[in-house]
Amino acid sequence: MSTPDNARKPYHSRMTRDWWLQQRYYRLYMLREATVLPLLFFLGCLLYGLYSLQHSEMQWLSFAQFMQQGWVIALNALALLASLYHAKTFFALFPRVMPLAPPLLMVAGQWLASLAVIITLLWLAGVS
Amino acid sequence: MTEYQLRIQRYDPEQDDTPRLQRYTVSGDHTTSVLDALLSLQQQQDPTLALRWSCRMAICGSCGVMVNGIPKLGCKTFLRDYNGVIDIAPLAHFAVEKDLIVDMTPFLAHLSAIQPYLINDKDDKAPHKQTPAQLAKYQQFSNCINCGLCYAACPQFGLNPEFLGPAAITLAQRYNLDSRDNGKASRMSQLNGNNGAWGCTFVGSCSEVCPKQLDPAAAVNQAKVESAKDFIINLFKI
Amino acid sequence: MQTLHTDIVVVGGGGAGLRAAIAAAEADAGLHISLLSKVYPMRSHTVAAEGGAAAVTLAADSAAAHFSDTVTGSDWLAEQDVVEFFVKHAYQELVQLEHWGCPWSRKQDGSIQVRRFGGMKTERTWFAADKTGFHILHTLFQTSLKYPAIQRLDEYLVLDLLREDNRVCGVVALVLNSGDLVLIKAKSVILATGGAGRVFHYNTNGGIVTGDGMALAFRHGVALRDMEFVQYHPTGLPGSGILITEACRGEGAVLVNKHGYRYLQDYGLGPETPLGHPQNKQMELGPRDKLSQAFWHEQQAGRTDEYNGHAVVYLDLRHLSRAHLQQRLPFICELAQAYVNVDPASALIPIRPAVHYTMGGIMTDINCQTTLQGLYAVGECASVGLHGANRLGSNSLSELLVFGRVAGEQAALHARTCQGSNNDTWSAAQYQRQGQQLSRCFGSNKDDSVARLRQAMTLAMEQGCGIYRDTDGLTQCQQQLQALQARYQNLKVTDTSKVFNNELVQYLELGFSLDVAQAICAAALARTESRGAHQRRDSGMTARDDKSFLQHSLAYYQAGAEPILSWQDVSITSLPPAERRYGSALETALNTAEQAADAGAKHD
Repeated sequence: MSTPDNARKPYHSRMTRDWWLQQRYYRLYMLREATVLPLLFFLGCLLYGLYSLQHSEMQWLSFAQFMQQGWVIALNALALLASLYHAKTFFALFPRVMPLAPPLLMVAGQWLASLAVIITLLWLAGVS
Repeated sequence: MTEYQLRIQRYDPEQDDTPRLQRYTVSGDHTTSVLDALLSLQQQQDPTLALRWSCRMAICGSCGVMVNGIPKLGCKTFLRDYNGVIDIAPLAHFAVEKDLIVDMTPFLAHLSAIQPYLINDKDDKAPHKQTPAQLAKYQQFSNCINCGLCYAACPQFGLNPEFLGPAAITLAQRYNLDSRDNGKASRMSQLNGNNGAWGCTFVGSCSEVCPKQLDPAAAVNQAKVESAKDFIINLFKI
Repeated sequence: MQTLHTDIVVVGGGGAGLRAAIAAAEADAGLHISLLSKVYPMRSHTVAAEGGAAAVTLAADSAAAHFSDTVTGSDWLAEQDVVEFFVKHAYQELVQLEHWGCPWSRKQDGSIQVRRFGGMKTERTWFAADKTGFHILHTLFQTSLKYPAIQRLDEYLVLDLLREDNRVCGVVALVLNSGDLVLIKAKSVILATGGAGRVFHYNTNGGIVTGDGMALAFRHGVALRDMEFVQYHPTGLPGSGILITEACRGEGAVLVNKHGYRYLQDYGLGPETPLGHPQNKQMELGPRDKLSQAFWHEQQAGRTDEYNGHAVVYLDLRHLSRAHLQQRLPFICELAQAYVNVDPASALIPIRPAVHYTMGGIMTDINCQTTLQGLYAVGECASVGLHGANRLGSNSLSELLVFGRVAGEQAALHARTCQGSNNDTWSAAQYQRQGQQLSRCFGSNKDDSVARLRQAMTLAMEQGCGIYRDTDGLTQCQQQLQALQARYQNLKVTDTSKVFNNELVQYLELGFSLDVAQAICAAALARTESRGAHQRRDSGMTARDDKSFLQHSLAYYQAGAEPILSWQDVSITSLPPAERRYGSALETALNTAEQAADAGAKHD
């Protein structure tokens, strides 16, 4: 029943650009989303490596040299940590989205499955 | 009795252009809830303070407010759990009508949009059979008290008020999962869009603040799975 | 002047109001129904009902048994034709709610589960865990969204009925979010505004339960019937009065005093039933009036404990497993933990009686029709005659369904057949008068306030109209209420804002409450006997007196004076007044009756 001359004047507040800094919960969410950034760097390295491999030996050596730099190793280590963190959050959320078995069992199952895939890949690649 | 400092966000649409903060001191003991404190302020210090409340036992869903930036039911939040100045503000992401009272109209519109009632052709006089296991599939999602805390916690609703939001999608899931219901197909059109389940990015804060531990984030993301299935099934139908 | 035209106005969005609105919409889809409520419907106090809703369900049960329990529970003050109608229709209404999606608790085979409840001979209480009222309310609210004919007017407070001679033709309401007055013209008006528990200091009710609808009808000459009967629920939390459902006792909880003794056996409810084996109508499953009265005696004898300055006894659930408690009483576990910091699986819950329900209300006939044409009343605000002097737990949730439907259908019928009022000048005058009255209430107070006056009223009622009453206390209460009415006339609202003026709403609610409180006190003073929830301590008044008082009290409003009392006969169809028996006395009586019946059968 709001008529033009009535006393209502609802106040609409806007979300500020730093809304995600205001709560611990939002910060953790943004951290989860931000895990994609170091992964992008890792993927860049991977593409660069593949390109170098097919281009020339010289190119490959320069790639290898690039990869040996401290900051590159650090960023790749960060990418590993980030993907592990992302996996952890993903595995924890999964049982809530598809409640197929007790949550703890599902989380453990996912880690075991990931481990199995890694071992299989390593075995296929001939690492023993 | 202990003295507590409250800093309450006030807004009088007939006087103010923007909200302002006002400080109060209240005394309380280990049983004093935020709602008790606000009511004692209203009764003893400032009758102009506006808020909603009724049952004072965490079931009517009226008294949601932000306490130190987190959505809470005033009646189920206790002063004993806070130190220093306690900030109290109206629920975030809703328009403020006055002081701690927000406009719940969008919330109710979203609830109505998902057809929150049983849809079936049952016409006889006997009750349906429903086993405890079938009941358990949706029971948790039927416990929503419509307090709106999850909307105040959801940044996606804050950014896009058209987003159906946690409670409405949870309610849709509640009926979709009910063994007595055949209305899923007609609810999917609401859930499929960007303002439906896909508007959620699984921030998960809705589940954190839910005073009834419904896990609305789970419901919303289960709705995504349903929506995806719906999409694939429709591909083959054409 | 803002004017809305509609066919039916339902005032109140709780269980009764929603059921009535749906019934009206189903009766005639062409009618416009305005569902008006001072809060969003799902905030209504139906939401806090915990235990369940009664209906004859098991093969071993019968309508006659439910009838007999209800009439006995009412101490023979129920309208027996109304009870007959009620027990006959309760089951189909609960099934209807099931069809609308209510998540009733189930047995393993998927059929409806029923639980024990106080004063009921057989298990017949349907429940949805321990949030039955919550689920009923939300199911009804959500179902109501299906009907385009139902237009919701949320957060509107009704100030007055529009009356033309002996007929009601709408309401004047305050729109809370704008402070505007609106005239709503309608052919039928249904009052479903709930009870008046907030006129007492210790109560299980939400802040909105202030007797608005009762006062609205009362002021227009409709009688308030049986107002002296106010139910104390035996188990509220100390201080807050938060309800701890009777279903706890249905599940086997026991009541003990500070010595750990199950004191109910001393008050005609024994013998003591073994722990974990509750017996219908015995000990903890006696009716609410008896249990609350037993507490009072224990307190007098110094056998109650103290919790934060409140006298308490204890509810013991410890012998029930944690898993069982979580399944059947999850809300109780949550409430006990939050509000008294007790885990019911391992510790005792301190409890004390608190005002819970007003058995009396706006007098209606079996069709929910009041003495004003076009005005209907249903639910706790009404007195259709179901509860008499004491309500049995779980009858009221069924009541609001059974009679909500009746009220909706009757109102629809009336709206279809009656001519609406065309007297616009006259209704405009009523609207103007309300506006002027409203503008006069603003100002400043010297040393009075709405809050202070309200507290004085609730304390006076607690003192004078509590579990036990006597002439001195009631007279004193009556005088206090008169003085408070005088103070109310001079009371001002200091907040002059229009949008969500809480102080103004509380001021208006207090006006309603004071009128209702006077009716309660006057009726209690006039009934010089003890019956059900109304217990007098004066000599010569401590027993039931069927010769003089097998009658309903009717209180009629007198502006600026005490209500006038008159009396109405009780409809008795098949169960003549007898002694109310619980515990072993009931067993003996039943055995005697059975033997007599057997002897009679042999004789034939």
